[in-house]
Amino acid sequence: MKRYGEHRFPGKLFIVEGIDGSGKSTQLMLLHQWLQAEGYGTVFSEWNSSPLVKETTKRGKKKEMLTPATFSLIHATDFADRMEHNIIPLLKAGAVVLCDRYIYTAFARDVVRGMDPKWVRELYGFAVKPTTAFYFRVPLEVAMHRILDGRAGLKFYEAGMDLGLSEDEEESFRIFQGRILEEYEKMVPEFDLTAIDATLPIEEQQSNMRQVAKAKLAQAKRLRVAP
Amino acid sequence: MRETYGVVLPGMKLADLTGKLIVVEGTDGVGRTTQINLLKPWLEQQGRAVLETGVSRSSLAGRGIKQAKEGHTLGRITLSLFYATDFADRLENEIVPALRAGFVVLTDRYIFSLMARAMVRGVDPEWVRSAYNFALKPDAVFYLRIGVDDLIPRVVFGRGFDYWESGMDLHPSEDMYESFRKYQGALLSQFEVLGEEYGFDIVDASADPRTVFEQLKAGIARVLSGEPREPLFAIPRPKETAEMPVSNVIEMPPAKAAAGGD
Repeated sequence: MKRYGEHRFPGKLFIVEGIDGSGKSTQLMLLHQWLQAEGYGTVFSEWNSSPLVKETTKRGKKKEMLTPATFSLIHATDFADRMEHNIIPLLKAGAVVLCDRYIYTAFARDVVRGMDPKWVRELYGFAVKPTTAFYFRVPLEVAMHRILDGRAGLKFYEAGMDLGLSEDEEESFRIFQGRILEEYEKMVPEFDLTAIDATLPIEEQQSNMRQVAKAKLAQAKRLRVAP
Repeated sequence: MRETYGVVLPGMKLADLTGKLIVVEGTDGVGRTTQINLLKPWLEQQGRAVLETGVSRSSLAGRGIKQAKEGHTLGRITLSLFYATDFADRLENEIVPALRAGFVVLTDRYIFSLMARAMVRGVDPEWVRSAYNFALKPDAVFYLRIGVDDLIPRVVFGRGFDYWESGMDLHPSEDMYESFRKYQGALLSQFEVLGEEYGFDIVDASADPRTVFEQLKAGIARVLSGEPREPLFAIPRPKETAEMPVSNVIEMPPAKAAAGGD
């Protein structure tokens, strides 16, 4: 795609992707700790964090009034707000920016909901290409086991209930996540995602992650953290 | 059969959309609403069921857009996408059900106003076209064409200059009048480009409302009778519209490196 290009800002952008239960958030948190200890000015940018669009998204979800198209577009709006007001200025300032989920989440989710793959990719053409996109690869059953153990109930859109896959929430979630997993696997070669085996011990995954990050940070100027 | 400009949204059965989709486009203050208010009863008198709809009125995003505008805080791409969300919501929840039920859908603006606004704000035209290519192709787009010089008295003696309609978010000038001229001039030239590309039927909106109404009636009657579409009115292009856009800055990352490159 023509606009999804390497950014020229002094900062670095590391993102994590993977299905729910892949352990990506834990790994990002550990990377964050390490980067801070190493003295890098590091900032988290969270998915769904824009106050501006938050209210609309929340209302749409609560009333279950989102279709695949409006689900896709409202999340793209939210992401654009973060890109324009948060991620790009931080990268310009030379920060190390961390994102839990990025455009690939949208690509997977929206395509599973029936949106055209090329259209969704073009819609996010304004996004900057991450320095490294880590993909936490995990078999569906492992992830399901991790999630369903520790969770009270699934949310409507989270379980993909809008797709009418199954009356049963858990079953719907399983089918939905399985399809998302397939989309992720297609994106590994397409976007050159750095795959990490998420069945390995946590420390081992983290050590792999740090090694990759270290190589990318070697040539970076360090943004001094305010005392 | 009905078509879209590119992709078809999930669950949309184009063959079922048997109604007529008629768009009235034109810039701020040109008199679109006045005309729609005249057209609706006229169509209803002929026994046509009419749905009238417009931009940023959806139940999903309409309120959010209004609030966001009050704060003047939206980035260009964000604003564009917010409008696209709103448009998709209206398309799926108002326009499509009405077309399925065989209504005449009269819409006050369509994707073209939204596209023109985005492009004047320097958003990549190709991206804008692609983002909106899920829209249904209307049966006709009547573009109310006017020059800036004819537009200004209507605004001055009407509701006055508005922050957004003057493109004040672009800071083209401190002065609201100068801003309005520049911004509307740029919008109008975008409309001309879109008009050629998307085949607008052009109506001279500098005429009095009655004359405009007569022209619209003739055009719509032709659409509804199913006669072959041909250019309705040939009007020379107003001079102002040849002006350059306010901003040519593309606020997007540089396009050099392709995906997957190093």
